[in-house]
Amino acid sequence: MVASLRSWVANEGGKHFVLILWLGANTWLFMKTFLLYFTGQQYHYLYKMLGLGMCISRASASVLNLNCSLVLLPMCRSLLTFVRGTHAVSSRETRRLLDKSKTFHVACGVSICIFSVVHVSAHLVNVVNFSVSYSDDFPALNLARYKGEDPKLIILTTIPGVTGLFLVLILFLMFTSSSYCVRLFNYEIFWYTHNLFIVFYIILMVHMVGGALKYQTNIEAHPPGCLTANQSSTSQRREDEERRCGEEAHFQPHYPQTWLWVSGPLCLYCAERFYRYIRSSDPVTIVTVIRHPCDVVELRMLKKNFKARPGQYVVLNCPGVSSFENHPFTLTTCPTEKKETFGIHLRVVGDWTERFTQMLLPQPRMDLEILPMVQQRRYPKLYIDGPFGSPSEEVFNYDVSVCVAGGIGVTPFACVLHALLDGWTGFRLQRLYFVWVCRELQSFYWFSELLCALHHKSMSEEKYRPLTSRLLVGRPRWKLLFDEIGKTNKHKRVGVFCCGPKGISKTLHKLCNSARSSGTTFEFNKESFG
Amino acid sequence: MGKIEWAMWANEQALASGLILLTGGIVGVAGQFRGWQFAAYAIAAGVFVCLLEYPRSKRAKGTSVERTGQYCFTVCVKSFGPLTRNYYVRAFLHAAICVPGGFMLATVLGCVCLGIASIIYLAAAIRGEHWEPIVPRKDTVRPPPADIKNPPQNPPPRPPPETRRKRVEDLEGAAYDNPIPVKD
Repeated sequence: MVASLRSWVANEGGKHFVLILWLGANTWLFMKTFLLYFTGQQYHYLYKMLGLGMCISRASASVLNLNCSLVLLPMCRSLLTFVRGTHAVSSRETRRLLDKSKTFHVACGVSICIFSVVHVSAHLVNVVNFSVSYSDDFPALNLARYKGEDPKLIILTTIPGVTGLFLVLILFLMFTSSSYCVRLFNYEIFWYTHNLFIVFYIILMVHMVGGALKYQTNIEAHPPGCLTANQSSTSQRREDEERRCGEEAHFQPHYPQTWLWVSGPLCLYCAERFYRYIRSSDPVTIVTVIRHPCDVVELRMLKKNFKARPGQYVVLNCPGVSSFENHPFTLTTCPTEKKETFGIHLRVVGDWTERFTQMLLPQPRMDLEILPMVQQRRYPKLYIDGPFGSPSEEVFNYDVSVCVAGGIGVTPFACVLHALLDGWTGFRLQRLYFVWVCRELQSFYWFSELLCALHHKSMSEEKYRPLTSRLLVGRPRWKLLFDEIGKTNKHKRVGVFCCGPKGISKTLHKLCNSARSSGTTFEFNKESFG
Repeated sequence: MGKIEWAMWANEQALASGLILLTGGIVGVAGQFRGWQFAAYAIAAGVFVCLLEYPRSKRAKGTSVERTGQYCFTVCVKSFGPLTRNYYVRAFLHAAICVPGGFMLATVLGCVCLGIASIIYLAAAIRGEHWEPIVPRKDTVRPPPADIKNPPQNPPPRPPPETRRKRVEDLEGAAYDNPIPVKD
């Protein structure tokens, strides 16, 4: 029991700690703002008019401010890649947390939706109260023009009302297109709707202009609840003298605050997109195209000033196929000092990859004999954006690593193996276990050259003591494998890297979280392809 | 690039709008605001829209993912035949349903969202999409063909043993050599 708790904490502790911090910040902000409006003297008259609706709407607005500013940060991919690369700034635990940046973005997005619902409902109640409790004593406080004005008219004729309506509509479009099914099957709808965020932020920053809610500025001269000149209370006149107001109540609307929260992350994100656009404006030169069995094509390319670490991925854009579609592919060879070309392996699955490979490779013609290609091929223009960091970069930072790949998921580990082939020095890594599961035997030909080279190197040089390499038929028995690894690496921290279908990653995750009698801790790192 | 299925997005929007209509209607009736009859209508309309939109359509090409427990809803929706298959009918139906929601403050948002969903359904209908029920695949066990019970009586024809012996002096050439010449 204690041992499984230890494994669980090692694997899940960091993520849950950040989650609790974030929930705590949201709760604290909500309660602080709520109490400010509930008990603050400067809101006394407004509270009497609007009631709890005012407090709830303002409290949810402050939580929305926080989440709208946080939601952009996990999407600054180049910045996160940079943080991952600088080992001086971040520890391995921090880098492991960066793997969950998309999950954090989704969490902030969901909380924006939930608190928007709360905020809108509370403001609808406020609008009704503005209309019903029209105040004749303090006309400056009113939003309605006369008592009993139709609340729908109030919404449509004030800036906060109209901007709020547009914000809700944009949020509705973004939310409905972000569901799992739409992302999986119609990614373009998701991508184009999500890019409406810039309109959302611009409208958000002008949402508070017009000042619907006002606070009282002269509390000392006019304590709330004091009696005006033509009022008198039922108690003695002496008390009446003390409670007379010095002057009339003065009200002032709030200065819009949202831009303080939001402008920083928004500028950062826009700067990052601009930087990525500039960096990817130079097209790459395609050097070779190789066709492999089982619908895989290898592409070798050249680009000036392109540096990448093993495990990173790039995003391809081919205007000849589709102007606006961008597809991520993991690098299988990184550029080194000796060799400047870098490569990707792409599997032909959807229509973009099909069209792309058609443009790259000649079509096999059945009637002619296959002759070697002598003429220069005219390759399509290709742009790459990246490289971006991924969890698989951490393979070198553990003493012992286990890499599990399913099918085409082997690509990040192929890059790792290439890097190790060039020279196994300067890394913390002492021992690497590599498991590659494929449906068809022919798939192993994708990296046959790499595997043979590794085998030869480990046979010829004494530094590398090869462990046995096995080819087995049937599904691997993960529990036995992990027990074996645990027995030979007692009391060590082993990094498990999985890149494959959900079934494998779920099983491995469960195994990593469960108890180990050998005292080994398995840290689970997952990389998923979309 | 690729065929975008607008109906899938319209379906998500319509389901969400149904829920928003339902919530707005409940708030309107509970608070007994002015015009609460519209809120009561919105509750009924919201429930109807949710039931109609819950079963997802089968994709034209590729795998379809269905919502949990949608089979019974699929059966109900399928029984209306062309009324539910056609997206023009759905577009106009949603446009008609959403109009009364616009008269009350609590249900205005549901009305606008359902209106947007109806526009996207119209776009899907113009592009020729229609609703297909997802039925569970029945893997019928095919009976094996009749002649599988009778194995062949004689071995296959083979060349005489002399030509069958392996040519050890030229293994590479032997691999490509046919013991019996192949006639063109």
